[in-house]
This record gives sequence, C-alpha cells and structure tokens, in this order.
Amino acid sequence: MGEVLSLIRAPAIAFFGGFLVVGGWIWAPQISSYLPGFSSGVSSAGSGGSWFADSNRLGRPETAPVVRTCIFRVIDLGSDARKIEPSAGYFILKAGSLSATVTSQFGKPNARAENQSAFMAGKWGELAGCIYAQDDRELCDPDSRAAMVEATTKFFAFAKQAQASNPPISAGDARVLENIGDRLLNALKNHRRYGTLAPSDFGAFVPSEITRVMREETQTRDICKR
Amino acid sequence: MYLLKRAAVVVGGIFVGANLLNYFVLGHAGDYLPGGERMGEWKAAKIREACYPALESIERDGQLPKLSTDRHRVAWRDLTRTQEMTAALNCYLVTHPNAICERNNRAYIVDFINRYFATFDEMLDIAKRYGDAEISTVRNLWDSPRNRAINAALIRDASSGRLIKADFGWSMPTAMKSMLDQYKGTSDNCPKA
Repeated sequence: MGEVLSLIRAPAIAFFGGFLVVGGWIWAPQISSYLPGFSSGVSSAGSGGSWFADSNRLGRPETAPVVRTCIFRVIDLGSDARKIEPSAGYFILKAGSLSATVTSQFGKPNARAENQSAFMAGKWGELAGCIYAQDDRELCDPDSRAAMVEATTKFFAFAKQAQASNPPISAGDARVLENIGDRLLNALKNHRRYGTLAPSDFGAFVPSEITRVMREETQTRDICKR
Repeated sequence: MYLLKRAAVVVGGIFVGANLLNYFVLGHAGDYLPGGERMGEWKAAKIREACYPALESIERDGQLPKLSTDRHRVAWRDLTRTQEMTAALNCYLVTHPNAICERNNRAYIVDFINRYFATFDEMLDIAKRYGDAEISTVRNLWDSPRNRAINAALIRDASSGRLIKADFGWSMPTAMKSMLDQYKGTSDNCPKA
C-alpha cells in the first residue's frame, strides 16, 4: 500500500500543481468575476475591489453607466472622444495608472515619476468625484458600485504614493489632493450610511482612510431596497 | 519495474498536461479537430493570410457589427473582438466561398466557426445579467449584414456538403448542430482538383 502511495505521490503532486496552473489560467476570467478586485484591474496601487465581496454587489466597472457619464470629463480626447467607447476611455485611464505605478515602483526616483502619481491621483479623484455627484441610487448598480470602489481606492493609493514621494510634491498639489480626499471621504461616509457601500466591497489592502470610514460609520438605511 | 511504472506515470502526466496547456492556454483547439481526408492541418491554411487585408480597415466597413444604442454594457474589447471575428469569417466564407474546399483551410475555418459562436455565447451570457434590453442589444450587434451573410454562407456550405457534422467532432456549436443535422448525408459539391 505504502509502495503504491509513494509511486503515485510525486506525479499526483505534479498533476495537481499543473491543474492549478492550467485551471487558474482557464478559469481566471470566471474566478475574477467572483473576485472583482482582480477584474477591476490589478496594480500595485491597489484596485480596491474585495475578494470577499458578494459577487452580485460588484460588477464590471468599465461598462458602468456612471463611467459612461464621467470618463470623458476626466480624460480629454478632444473630438476623438465621440468615436471612442467609454469603456475604452476607462481602459486608457487604467493603462496610465499602470504606467505610473511601474514608473514609481521600478524607475529612478525623480520629479517626473512623482508628478505622474499626483497626476493619476488627480484623475482618479476627478472620476470618483464625478461618480459621487450622480444620483445616489445610480450606485446601486453593481458595475457603477465597482467603478466607485475602484476610483476611490485608486485615488487614495496614488495620493499616498505622491505624498510619500521623494522629491516631495509641491504644497499646492498636496493641498489639491487633500481637498479631493476630504470630499471623497464625506461622500464615502454618506454611501456607507445609505447602504450603497459595505465594508466587504473593499479589499484587504485598501488604504487606511477608507477602512476607517467603513469601520466607524454604520448603515442607517438601504436606498437600494425597492 | 518500479522505476518503469513511475516513469510511465510521469510521462503520462506530462502528455496530459502538455495537451491541456495546448488546448486551453495556447488556444490551439484546432489540433483536436477530427482528422481524415476532409480535414488537414489548420496551421497550414492559406486562407488565414489571404484574409489579413480584410482585417486592416475594419472601421471603414459599414456592414460590420455596430452597437444600436448608447445604453449598453458591451465592453469595447468585446465589441472589437466581434467586429474582427465577423470580418475574418466573412472573408473565409463569403469573399472566398471555395476556400473551405481545401482541407487545411477547412480545418482552420471549422475551428474559427467554433470560436465565432463561442464568443457570441459568451457575450450573451454576460448580457443575461443585465436583462432583456441588453440581450437584445447583443443580438442586434451580431445581426449585422456581414453576420447575416455568414449565416447564409454556413447554410449554403452545410446544404452542399462542404461542411458536415463529422468535421466538428465533439466540439460542435449548438447553432450549427440543427443546421448540419438537417442536411445530413449531403455529398460534397466542392470542385474536384
């Protein structure tokens, strides 16, 4: 018996490992739809969606109606904006974020890289601000909620990156980011109370400002309930 | 004997693993289509290169799939994929109607038909999450003049024996099944070389 076990042990482990790799690759899109943190884009700045969120709560941010309304206010594509799908605009913003993250993580410390972090923080903050300015019930939509989670998380992550930068960002830029951050935290508190956002919507590696709001505030009603 | 058994299991594992990687990761589903007289080597299909120009100016082709409304949940990558697949399959089946008679081309086209319908099914599954309006948006997207021409070409190829059930093996798209069943036993009308 022991001999048989030792015979199959190594191939079984190899097969199981191979299955995890192959299966992970094949089923990654389906798995990621249950783990919206991945589906909403992975970057070292943090994508924001939680692995443990109810899969019905977070959808695909790029196709969110609020993104359709807001994205071209954030990224200026001139007259081309009319020809481009909003989800493509969202992708452009995410691609810019990835580039900023890579530059700040692996590039030499310089003013340009840090400006890029501040710039991306500003862009995500603008998008989050626009999303929060929509009708509160808009955010009951899982795609819109996912966009809200991602934009808010990315803003705080990039803002932190910019504030910790060396050389430091200018006092003016720091103040702008701080103001955006305050506005977003207020909106976040409201949505926590309205029930449009729950702590489980955010990931484990979410910026501390968000965790604090989610922990300190409690839901007082559910505006999504019909 | 012990070592031999162990080696056999390892070799078997590598064989299975390599095939799984080839099919699912590299996406070479064409390698697993039935062989025989009718089906050649998909990688050697000349039609693929012949149709590259059809993919070069997709944005200028007004007959390709277009979204009928601004209020939709179709991601741009899915939209682009739909347009590219439609343009390519239109070229394989409609622009070059006899291409499917060549066995390498047939293997490639059969594999492509599988992927074409799989993409449609995948998009329809996503649309179902959003309700009837979104389902209808996706159905309309896949009902462009080019898609309709493809459907007509598929019916023509099935009715003339250029495409038969056996070409698809176990991987037949549901949409093709009833069509191929209907024309079962039809002999191939391809021009003889």
